[in-house]
This record gives sequence, structure tokens and C-alpha cells, in this order.
Amino acid sequence: MDTQQEVLALLDELLGLGGRTAEFTRDTPLLGALPELDSMGVVALLGGLEERFGLVLADDEIEGATFATVGTLTDFVAARLAA
Amino acid sequence: MGWGEGRRFCLHHRAAGGRPRARVLYLHPLAEEMNRSRRMAALQARALAGAGFEVLQIDLHGCGDSAGDFADASWQGWTADALQACEWLRAQPGAAPLWLWGLRAGALLAVEAAHALPVSCNLLLWQPPASGAAVLQQFLRLRLAEGLAQGQAGALMKTLRAQLDAGQAVEAAGYTVSPALAHGLQAATLVPVLPRAGRLAWLELGGSEPAAPSPAAQPLIDAWSRGGWQVHAQRVPGPPFWATAETETAPALLQATLQALHDEVMA
Repeated sequence: MDTQQEVLALLDELLGLGGRTAEFTRDTPLLGALPELDSMGVVALLGGLEERFGLVLADDEIEGATFATVGTLTDFVAARLAA
Repeated sequence: MGWGEGRRFCLHHRAAGGRPRARVLYLHPLAEEMNRSRRMAALQARALAGAGFEVLQIDLHGCGDSAGDFADASWQGWTADALQACEWLRAQPGAAPLWLWGLRAGALLAVEAAHALPVSCNLLLWQPPASGAAVLQQFLRLRLAEGLAQGQAGALMKTLRAQLDAGQAVEAAGYTVSPALAHGLQAATLVPVLPRAGRLAWLELGGSEPAAPSPAAQPLIDAWSRGGWQVHAQRVPGPPFWATAETETAPALLQATLQALHDEVMA
């Protein structure tokens, strides 16, 4: 599974999307567009990213731009994994 | 039970078939997680009652239909509520093993109460958090999440922590957490209850198929085993129903819980 697929699988599972992520592309908007991504969804996602990818996210790394689209989120994870 | 400020709303499910196999106290999670997990808690409580278990669900101080404001709640107060509920169950006629069942922060509270109980008990922990500190961080992150569209999160987190340390409450996603609750939560851990050991059922949700609990949980689970507790630990597939915007259920968890309690109580 590549990073984008893993991120989509995580979104689907944590936000209860019921397989809808199969239709998502890099450009699919997330924050502000996906009703399931409310503040609890964001916190669940942060925790999920940390657990699934073994990351530790510092408070000052958490930005709205990261969650704008599937692409921005995938790039964020990929960059952290490469670091 | 109780009256005035001490009044706590409870739901009591009698065991089918008369004499209960065990008495189970359910301790709910923090703030909005309590609301989102209501359905699963109700489904499980009814399923357990149908399987011959007596179940008591208590709304903690300032939560649900109990007396008080959430902003006035404290970890110590919630521990006292849990202990009072245990005493009520233990006073019911006929001996039966006592199980403390908690979801997320409720799991931490179950362990806290187990430490303070004068008798041995058993624990059913749903999605036990790494620590109370992790739960508090997640709660404070809700505030960051609310303002995510605007600006940086780092400064805000520092401000919130400083507020708590200065004795001020913090608000996030419609809930106000008092310094007493925050500090109690920060200190809460899943350190094993010793020397009185019992049975521990540790159930997590996640993934697409049954598996072992997350690697991060393993050292904690091992500590309980080493302390003499009989541990059953597993991860079952299902959504994080305490966090999802739409009400979700996790049938695999309902089933695994019934099975775990049946196995533990019949053993």
C-alpha cells in the first residue's frame, strides 16, 4: 500500500466513511468539506496518524493547510516518514 | 442514587434469569465521547443483561442527567462516584463477582476505583488510553482543531496549559474542564492494581480483522499479567464510535465483550 492509500484507509476507518474513500483523489477536499471531519474527527485523525505511521506530532506542526485535501495530508505524512 | 448535588442518574439493568453471574459497573468516557458512545453502551448493557449479568450505568457528576455542571467536575469526585456505585452493587442481595467496565477515560477511572476498592474486582477496559495525560492532550487538541483554519496551534496549546496551571478552567468543543479534572486526568495511569488481582479483559478497536492489541499497549498489558492478573487482550475491527460524527456501532466489540465475560465468569 502506498502512503496515499494508507492515509485513505485511515480516514475511512476513523471517520466512519463506509468505503467512500475509494472515490477520493489527491484533490478531494477534506477540512471544511467533509462533515465527518469535525473537531473530534481531526483529533481522532491526529491520533491515528501518530499510531499508524509511528509519528509524534508537535503542537506547532498542526496546521489547517495540512488537512485541506487528500494530497496535502498525504504529502505531510510522506515528508515526515522520509525525515 | 444520592440527593441534591450528590444526585447521580443511573440505569440499572437486571440480569435475565434472576441470580446474576456477575455485577458490572459501566463508567463512561469524557465529554462529547460520552454522548457519541451512548448507543454502544446501551447495546452492550442490554446484551450483558440478557446474558445473565446485572449492569449499572452511572452518569458521573456534571454529566448526562446527573446533578452538577461539567465545569465543576473533578477526577476525585468521579472516583468517589464510581466507588459509591460499586458499594451500591455490592450491597445487592447474593454474592456475585464485581466487574468495572470503562470506555476510554472511563477505563482509567475504572482502574482508579479498583485501586481504592477494599475488595478485589475484575476489569473490562474498552479502548484503554495510554494514560490520562494522553486523554487530556486529546481534549486540548479539540480546541486546536476548532481553530485549525486560522493560524498556528503551538502557541494556543501553551496558553491552554498555562491557564490550567494558573488554576483556570479551559474550554474545548463546548465542554469546560476544571483544573481539578485536568490535573486528576493528567495523573491517571493504567498501573496495575496490586496485590489483589482479578481478571482483566482489555479490548481495543481498529483494523479490518481481529488481532492483538496495539504494540504500544503491550508493556502495560504485560505489567498486569506480571502482577498476577488473568489477562484477556484483543483488538477487534470496528469504528471509533466514541469519536465518529454519525452514531456508529461495533458489533464485533459487542460479541467479543460477551464472549470475554462469559469465558471469564464461567472459568
